[in-house]
Amino acid sequence: MTPLLLAEGSNAALVTFAIYTLAVFGIAALSNQLLKSKSFMSEYFLGSRSLGVWAFALTFAATSSSGGSFTGFPAKIYTHGWILALWIGSYMVVPICTMGLIGKRLNQVARLSGAITVPDVLRDRFNSQRFGLMAVVLIVFFMSFNLVAQFKAGALILKVLLADVQVFNDFSAVVAGWTSDMPFFGSDGKYLVCLFFFGVAVIAYTTYGGFHAVVWTDVMQGIVMVFGVLILLPLALYAVGGLDSATHEMSKMTTPRRGYATVAVDDRATAPQQLDKDDWLKFEAADGTRVFRVAKPFAVPADAAEIHAVELLEITTPDEVDRILAGSVPAEFVDGLSVSGFQKPDEKFGTVTIIPSAGSGGTTFARGDVLHTENQAGDDKRTFQVAADTIVPIDETEVVVPVVESADGKYLHGMAHGDLKASAVSLQSVSYVYGADQPGVYLTGPGPSATDSVGFLSLSVAISFFFMWAISGTGQPSNMVRLMAFNNSKTLKRAIFTVAIYYSLIYLPLVVIFCCARVLVPGLETEPDRIMPEIAVYLTGRVGAAWLGGLLIAAPFAAVMSTVDSFLLMISSAMVRDIYQRNISPDASEKTIKRLSYLCTLLVGSIAMIVAINPPRFLQDIIVYVGSGLAACFLAPTLFLLYWPRSNEQGSIIGMLSGFSAHLAMYAAGMFVNGSFFRPYRLFEFDPIIIGLTVSFAVTYFATLATAPPSEDLVRKYFYRRKSQ
Amino acid sequence: MSASTETGNEQYELDPVFLNSRREAKVIFGVWFLCAIWAVPVSYLLGYNQTVTPGSVETVLGIPKWTFWGLFLPWLVADVITTAFCFKFLKEDDLGHADDEEGPAETAAAASQEDAQ
Repeated sequence: MTPLLLAEGSNAALVTFAIYTLAVFGIAALSNQLLKSKSFMSEYFLGSRSLGVWAFALTFAATSSSGGSFTGFPAKIYTHGWILALWIGSYMVVPICTMGLIGKRLNQVARLSGAITVPDVLRDRFNSQRFGLMAVVLIVFFMSFNLVAQFKAGALILKVLLADVQVFNDFSAVVAGWTSDMPFFGSDGKYLVCLFFFGVAVIAYTTYGGFHAVVWTDVMQGIVMVFGVLILLPLALYAVGGLDSATHEMSKMTTPRRGYATVAVDDRATAPQQLDKDDWLKFEAADGTRVFRVAKPFAVPADAAEIHAVELLEITTPDEVDRILAGSVPAEFVDGLSVSGFQKPDEKFGTVTIIPSAGSGGTTFARGDVLHTENQAGDDKRTFQVAADTIVPIDETEVVVPVVESADGKYLHGMAHGDLKASAVSLQSVSYVYGADQPGVYLTGPGPSATDSVGFLSLSVAISFFFMWAISGTGQPSNMVRLMAFNNSKTLKRAIFTVAIYYSLIYLPLVVIFCCARVLVPGLETEPDRIMPEIAVYLTGRVGAAWLGGLLIAAPFAAVMSTVDSFLLMISSAMVRDIYQRNISPDASEKTIKRLSYLCTLLVGSIAMIVAINPPRFLQDIIVYVGSGLAACFLAPTLFLLYWPRSNEQGSIIGMLSGFSAHLAMYAAGMFVNGSFFRPYRLFEFDPIIIGLTVSFAVTYFATLATAPPSEDLVRKYFYRRKSQ
Repeated sequence: MSASTETGNEQYELDPVFLNSRREAKVIFGVWFLCAIWAVPVSYLLGYNQTVTPGSVETVLGIPKWTFWGLFLPWLVADVITTAFCFKFLKEDDLGHADDEEGPAETAAAASQEDAQ
């Protein structure tokens, strides 16, 4: 990819971002006008139940398709191939399920009770303050996590979007200088700048405009997303020479190998001082040229003859290597450097976190040294070889050492360090643990996996996902609140149809586009989340419309924005409506409620933005945990209270808590079985969502039958109507 | 309480919105189940653990055979079913009126204006 192309694309991205920001502020101003003429609370949090077809359909679709649809999902297609069509397959019924299963009935019950929020509905349906409060606590708990994760996603996307804009880079460097003495802000000036701009824009328009601003920006963002995909599709097919050609190329592909290597400085005159992730290296071996991509940036010191422990990715498909060497795919080789000593395929690489013993500060673990470690319990003894020189800092409680672990436990040389205490080990196979050296693995199930020995999508996981998207999506409070906001049944049926077509136009083409991207842009396993902007800039550049690339890569930005604003409003509505107005001050004036709503939205957003300065590492894992956790809590009680006259407060509360606990238990068990909270235990190989929902449905049902039936007044109010004469 | 009940001088019947919604929900579960038992088994039988000869793979319209028969085709069918469900089966019930809404007359006017579009 030429620098010129990148620059053109990025300038367009900058213009796009500016237009976007202006547009959302304009929308917020318009919707603020509506607030002046209607009941504030109902308008601010529910749009006065007046959403028509397009607004309802696109806000529903855009909120459901979070940033993940345009970053994580394309990255997964790129990494695992056609199997992602099955992973996302249940989206064929997501609109009819998530909107049709409870839409009409929930909307009616919300009108009957005058409910504005989801906890409102739960509370009023059983006249139960504690049920409403429990729902508030769970929503605030889950949504707060997710809000921070989405803020991070938004900042990361913006960072990619503006990566080559000079003004942005200069300003980021200044910010990094300001914050260099403040550890809280970290060292990534670009991330800080992006987080600030993204956060301020979203918080401002959501606070000022309320629900209608969120909905109208969702509509705009939904349109950008679908047009982005529909423009990319023909460009990708044209570039790859047709889908048949792409599929046949993919049938020859084998997974790349990742590991450490030694890089020799052959020519000091031409060798660069710094290598980045986009750089390529080659090694002239006896049996042909081997091609590597830099997996982690590294510096080339002025006097170095060799650089050790450089993290690289080796392309293993012969046809792909030939095309890269022939210059028919975007790859620029670095002169003056060559690769030697890449690892054996049966080794693992990664890090071990050592707890230094007293007085060991200043010790050096040299490359090649052998470390004998045990965990703190003393029952996991392992041996590693140091991959890069590491000095143990004085007064530090932990030191992270890059290491290699051999499959046979044999290490040929190096000084031995024994009895070391290790608090964490993070290793990855050099080869994929499923699908390595297996042509066709990108076309078939279960798909290649670097970490899972049964492949990416085993049958049980495929079933779980078919269940998860369609059924658990129904249990998301952010979806439910939209189902309370449409104006009539006719709108619902037209919106289900619209969203069904919308998803068909988004998800199937995305699978095709990013399978083509596997062929067109090789070696991006180093940072697969970048594939969407990379392919957008590459494809539009090929047809001489680099400016379009900037517009297209705004699609993921739009997606994450539309998710963040919805979550922000859900949390503030839970606080103002469900806690303050309904429990603390029922007679509060509209003026007080209005000020409190603005203040709360502003505060929640600001706190989330501050926490996102140092966000949790496991972004996608948090999103999955929150989405499935909310479904495990809310789906069963909601379905029962809408469709079962016998359902009662006790059964619903116990069912909600059971779903929450069962789901949490699977994640907690993961800490003991798999060593991480975010690698949950899979009972019978099923995802925790299946366990959570099964427990929640069963417990709600039996606990309801075991407790007293609800009062006749409540049943009559929600399930009966006066007979017409 | 039964399908129809009486309190004082007033007689009640089961709410048709509840009855229609419940009936529609059952059909939706059926559609989900149908799609699940089509997509997952077909994809598994045709697409899992297959030996692929590099460069000569069976495709339909450029799509791997298992993906076409297991996902693209049922997706198309699901869209047809969704369309039929929306326009032939889903009842246009009156969802009532909340206190915070515009008056019924205004709502009705807005709905008819939307129909005209």
